[in-house]
Amino acid sequence: METSLPHDGASAPAVPAGAVLLSQRRVYILPTGFGLLFALTVALVLLASINYNLSLGYVLAFLLAGLGLVAMLHTWRNLVQLEVSAGRTEPVFAGDAAVFQVLLVNNAGVARASIRLETAGALATSLDIPARGSSVARLHLGTQRRGWLKLPRIRVYTTYPLGLFRAWSWVELPLRALVWPQPENGDAPLPDRLPGSGEAGAGGRGTDDFAGMRTYQPGDSLRHVAWKALARDGRLVTKQFAGRTGQHLWLDFMLLPRAMGDEARLSRLTRWVLAAEAAGHAYGMRLPDREIAPGEGHPHCNRCLEALALYRLQGPKG
Amino acid sequence: MTTTDALPGAPRRRHAQPVDATLDAARVLALLATLVLVLAPHAAEFPAWVSVTVASVLGLRALFAWRGMGMPPAWWLALLATAAALGIWSSYGRLYGRDAALGLLLLMTCLKTLELRARRDAHVLVLLGYFLLVTGFLYSQSMGMAAYLLGCLWALTACLLTFQREPGRAAVPEVMRTAGLMIAQAAPLMLVLFLLFPRVQGPLWGLPLAQSAAQTGLSDTMAPGSVASLSLSDAVAFRVDFLSPAPEAKRLYWRGPVMWDFDGRAWRTGEALTTPAPVLGNVSEPLRYTVTLEPHNARWLFGLDMPAQRLEGSVLTADHQMLALRPVRARMRYETSSWLTYRAGLQESPRTLQRALALPSDYNPRALALGLRWRQDYPDPRNRVASALRMFGEQPFFYTLAPPLLGRDSVDEFLFDVRRGFCEHFASSFVVLMRAAGVPARVVTGYQGGVLNPVGGFLTVRQSEAHAWAEVWLQGEGWVRVDPTAAVSPQRIEGGLAAAVPADSGLPLFVRTDNALLKRARFTLDAIANGWNQWVLGYTPERQRELFQRLGMPKASWQGLAAALAMATGGVVLVLVLITLRRLRIAAPDPVTRAWNTLSAKLAPLGLARRPQEGPMDHGERVANALPAHAADVRRMAHLVVQLRYGREAAPEALEELRHRVRAFRPAPRWQRRVTTADGHPVTG
Amino acid sequence: MNAQIRPVLSTLGQIVLGKETQLKLAIACLLARGHLLIEDLPGVGKTTLAHALARTLGLQFQRVQFTSDLLPADILGTSVYDRDTGSFTFHPGPVFTQVVLADEVNRATPKAQSALLEAMEEQQVTIDGQTRSLPEPFFVIATQNPSFHVGTFPLPESQLDRFLMRIELGYPDPAAERALLAGQERRTLIHDLAPVLTPAALVALQGEVRQVHTAAALLDYVQNLLTHSRRAPEFGAGLSPRAGLALLNAARAWAFMHGRGAVLPEDVQAVLPSVVGHRLHAPGMAPQFGSTDLGRKLAAEVAIP
Repeated sequence: METSLPHDGASAPAVPAGAVLLSQRRVYILPTGFGLLFALTVALVLLASINYNLSLGYVLAFLLAGLGLVAMLHTWRNLVQLEVSAGRTEPVFAGDAAVFQVLLVNNAGVARASIRLETAGALATSLDIPARGSSVARLHLGTQRRGWLKLPRIRVYTTYPLGLFRAWSWVELPLRALVWPQPENGDAPLPDRLPGSGEAGAGGRGTDDFAGMRTYQPGDSLRHVAWKALARDGRLVTKQFAGRTGQHLWLDFMLLPRAMGDEARLSRLTRWVLAAEAAGHAYGMRLPDREIAPGEGHPHCNRCLEALALYRLQGPKG
Repeated sequence: MTTTDALPGAPRRRHAQPVDATLDAARVLALLATLVLVLAPHAAEFPAWVSVTVASVLGLRALFAWRGMGMPPAWWLALLATAAALGIWSSYGRLYGRDAALGLLLLMTCLKTLELRARRDAHVLVLLGYFLLVTGFLYSQSMGMAAYLLGCLWALTACLLTFQREPGRAAVPEVMRTAGLMIAQAAPLMLVLFLLFPRVQGPLWGLPLAQSAAQTGLSDTMAPGSVASLSLSDAVAFRVDFLSPAPEAKRLYWRGPVMWDFDGRAWRTGEALTTPAPVLGNVSEPLRYTVTLEPHNARWLFGLDMPAQRLEGSVLTADHQMLALRPVRARMRYETSSWLTYRAGLQESPRTLQRALALPSDYNPRALALGLRWRQDYPDPRNRVASALRMFGEQPFFYTLAPPLLGRDSVDEFLFDVRRGFCEHFASSFVVLMRAAGVPARVVTGYQGGVLNPVGGFLTVRQSEAHAWAEVWLQGEGWVRVDPTAAVSPQRIEGGLAAAVPADSGLPLFVRTDNALLKRARFTLDAIANGWNQWVLGYTPERQRELFQRLGMPKASWQGLAAALAMATGGVVLVLVLITLRRLRIAAPDPVTRAWNTLSAKLAPLGLARRPQEGPMDHGERVANALPAHAADVRRMAHLVVQLRYGREAAPEALEELRHRVRAFRPAPRWQRRVTTADGHPVTG
Repeated sequence: MNAQIRPVLSTLGQIVLGKETQLKLAIACLLARGHLLIEDLPGVGKTTLAHALARTLGLQFQRVQFTSDLLPADILGTSVYDRDTGSFTFHPGPVFTQVVLADEVNRATPKAQSALLEAMEEQQVTIDGQTRSLPEPFFVIATQNPSFHVGTFPLPESQLDRFLMRIELGYPDPAAERALLAGQERRTLIHDLAPVLTPAALVALQGEVRQVHTAAALLDYVQNLLTHSRRAPEFGAGLSPRAGLALLNAARAWAFMHGRGAVLPEDVQAVLPSVVGHRLHAPGMAPQFGSTDLGRKLAAEVAIP
């Protein structure tokens, strides 16, 4: 079968595309502060042994020194030859935490313990990886603005087994999360429907099912005001209809007041998309640079949200 | 691409294990238990209040952990620490000095547990634990103690390991196994460093206290009963490794203090004779051996009659005693040699001979009279000696561990009334008789015999082998050893003490010869103890120098030592690295894949290695197309791989065939192929 | 190539020109007792393929054109009250045949779609409380237009999963097209085709396919493929265990067609794009947008253990 693969020799380990192998050269190791304190302790033990002629004290000092060296090897081994690759991300609304999955694959026949990942702005996480197995780390990054959120360079490190040494490596993964605009908090109602185009129009005006009443909000169509209710108890109430036939809901950026500002308008559209989707309406969306034909369902909703997220951002097409 | 700036924000959900978790109760309790183990050996060495305080503070902390209670505030701790310091001050009168400082360290360690909140505190406690291990050796360096503290080291390391894991992730057996493995891997490094790390003779500061003031052993006085009481101790006096064949038991006279001066009751060494080195003539080949001497708080270094050389750091007196410059307070090891056949003191000065004839005139009149009579009866001093020995042999003298008490004229009472005694009675009365008879004589104390350990091949000499004998000076022969005990009880000299006294005489267990199995076990234990002393405890700067000599570096400079140390350490580390890398290697695939990988490696220089995503048939086809000369062979190998790896069942010979074909496969390198196609003749290189 | 399959393929090759891979996949799909979804523009020979396949194998053939007003009863059949006997008589719908061609399946309403798809899944139809078995073998070929105009109802993910494979036919290459233009009318040719296999023989072959061996090493590979699809960021949702079984069955059929008694990784790779193409989709995209490219990508990223 046809595959377009880089032509590498058999000696190079098989690393899937997009994965980073923490080779010997990429892994750095240095003693931790605790490691230095440990060295001081070993020196003190040795000094005491010399002073009191404690032969077994020498044994202890040298055993501890050997333990330190062995710990260095184990720490290094715990990280080296680990394979790090990008996992999934799910889109989030601005203000929520984006979750980046990072996949850690251990091809070696020994388990790895307490591998830690950290990146700017995320809490470090720690995980164990079984021999010849893999684990998924989840990095939570707070989001503030819509658009693509790129995962910053991550540091993979470990101090296992004794905490005397820290082995680390930097990994840059091509991971980004789509951040949708934050849905507006208010309850501005969905705009009026317009007669739809194409086939749906054939059904005429349609027979919308009366769905309920709610208090009038400025901008509600006067045609939907329940005049009878107004006459009865003097409150402006808007009739709401549900139904799929006849008319399409158009969510139009340009029809929102310019004074709101772009981001606020996007926030409102976001809420509207969610509301329309929840209500089961067929809806389309118009942005100054883009129009999305009416539709419904999860993929359609995602398309609209993505368009909102990337509006006027020169992001590459995801 | 534009990206939004992500500011750190608290995640709404916390999937991730926070890395710096507070310590959970299980790990805290494990650490506390380990600290109890580490501190336990110190309990006996400190005032009771220290142990009680340590135990109650640790118990309190354990209760906090168990109940999940908060820690006491800092001022509380400061108060406790001050109280601890005051307590030490009142017990020791100072805060420095070995015991006071150690006591303070113990108390501070247990107070630190009240501050045990984060991982960092646990780390500090583990380090304190490691340090406290070495202080445990101040009291005892026995094998049992070493094993115990090794166990503590293991537990401490396991504790440290758990603090690098997230709570609840590590099972106890796994942690213990990893810690054990690491200690095992550290052991070869320890061995190299132990043997090669340049040793410095301590102390660097202060003087270590004597391990114990009262050690058993021979002294510079000998009164009736003093050797006998020593015989009840089965403490080891020294151990001997013969470099030549061991002599028979009756010739093993280990020379110790030589007694010249008799006050009528007790013998004393008197002033040391510092005349020039003694002359020994008419000698055989010297016998070489190594002695590992237990500390006995006196200066004598024991050697076989007669010591042939002066050791470095010791003097050899005119009466052939080896004396160290300082009392022996630590176990020491020396190699020396002796002549078993000798002529000693042929030209003895008249002053010395005069000293060897001196007797108090107002004691033991009957003995003096007997000596005087012999002097008159026998003109030849040899006959006087013989008559004395005849007297011991013919008259009813008894060799016993429990001689009756003797009065003022002890020699007279022993010789003429009681006639029951231990070696010092015989030696003492013999010398008195000889002096009275005009034969210069002196008492020699030391050890006689020793038990050859069949397990370790060395001789163990215990305090129970303590002995006293005599030496007389004869014209033309010099000082001649005479053992009157041998005349009474030859078994003592040939078969040891147990053979010479009745079975119910309360001898130490080790000396008895009855139970063979017990004896065997004892021998084994003693052999292990000897090895421990020789190689672990007795590894001194001298021993290290000796090792270097044996390794062919007689006068190693410090650079040479450093190089040797670096090389050996490097070698061990290299082995460890190789082991580590080996464990990292991607798990060995099955034999079929291994063979296919080998083939792939052979094809790699031609750019025909198998791609990771390429199946065997595809790969085989690609190679066959690229190397038409090998097409049939390659297709056959691909077929075999498919059959073996994916087929229902393959004949065992298929694997053999595959292996054989892969081994035999020699694809021509690219340049050779080019040459081949250029002129049509294969070029062999 | 299996001796019984070879004539089938060569016969089909005379009708459907230049589409050998697609023909082989279609046969493999049939042998694995799966159903086939063909996605392409009108006029590239979807119907011809389905019809020719049925003829060559000697199977009954029915074609259902799906429209927006198609009702489930139009597919499954109805019970009609018979005045003479005074009872209801069942008139079986077009689904009661061995090969059903469901043309433009995405034109019909979800209700009609699910009627067909339930029949596909269960090999039986329940009408008026009575369960009726469908003939054996039973093979559905559905076609759909790739366009997503207003008024179409793309098959939802759960329904797509019921098709073992999805293939695209594509335009014929120039030589095939010339032969097509110069040659006889396809319909006539199909009409003149003589069956090369009996239905019973086909059922027997299907039984043999199920016996094809899958070694542990191969299962490892399939598992790696599944795991990777679930983890790698370029796939919107991972493959289900059912997809794994489908992949294995299709690979068995492919291996069987090629005369092998055991499945090789190459067999898996050959069927992979068609089997997983409609089960995978790029993140944020609907499954309808999936393509065989994602299947190829998956094969290219997962090493063979």
